Amino acid sequence: MSVGYQSIEVRAELLKLARLLGRAPDELAYLEAVGPAELRALREQVTEALFDSHLGALNRLASASRLLPVAVVAQMGEKVFGALLSARITGLLDPDRAVEVAARLPDGFLADVAVELDPRRASAMIARIPADRIAAVTRELLARGEFVTMGRFVGHLPDASLQAAVEVSGPDDLLQVALVLENKDRLGHLLGLLGPERTDQILEAADRAGLGLEARELLEQAGRDDGSPRPG
Amino acid sequence: MSQDPLQELRDQLRGDPPDALRTLSEADLRHLTEAIRTARVRQAAALEHAAEQGFSYVPRLLRGPIRRILR
Repeated sequence: MSVGYQSIEVRAELLKLARLLGRAPDELAYLEAVGPAELRALREQVTEALFDSHLGALNRLASASRLLPVAVVAQMGEKVFGALLSARITGLLDPDRAVEVAARLPDGFLADVAVELDPRRASAMIARIPADRIAAVTRELLARGEFVTMGRFVGHLPDASLQAAVEVSGPDDLLQVALVLENKDRLGHLLGLLGPERTDQILEAADRAGLGLEARELLEQAGRDDGSPRPG
Repeated sequence: MSQDPLQELRDQLRGDPPDALRTLSEADLRHLTEAIRTARVRQAAALEHAAEQGFSYVPRLLRGPIRRILR
């Protein structure tokens, strides 16, 4: 891995860890010398530790929500729980019900939740969100420059949702997302969906941004992908 | 005397941190440990607040059953 590419990955990991801890990334600058794979392992440990430390209370809240109408759950999610707790509870809800709740929430709040959500814990729910809603939340995340958040979700989206998301993204956006993609083994499949013309546009965007080497390194990695479609 | 900083981090993570973290200074290890601890405390406070404030949104008839689940 080249120094430039490694440094992009380290910055993305530090941002994710800082968010998890509610800190500014600069406060964790001492972790810059740690490699991206180990930073990711640390972030996953912190995610587990935070989640597990209140799993009982989160489970009780999720159980209680089953007694309430979907509209009330949505209102409480936005007005009382906020994005952080909503993200923690999402994976504990029945996926179909969680999608019904999400349908009643504004795109901006869903984008807030996406920033805090651990997609591995809510994969079944994410896969059930209609593609047009994924496109709307993608627009919101793009407007905020949330490429790191988008990169965490790519590996959990079915093809129809991925297609909807890439349709609302420009080549510069796709470049930024590809560089910080969490499940890099899915990159080849993503490029297959994009087609050669859009892939060339992304490479042109990389050259304009001075990231041509890093983007080509990424494409080489994608060559090792199995290209199989996502379930769901 | 305070505990070994690596052990404190191990306690917060409830497991061994990645080996690369052994190269961090004591001060940095303590900062990271404190950041995890603070995040945990903040999450607990948010949960408590949500459980208290959420009741105003719950229909009166359901407050009893929900209180029993949350106990």
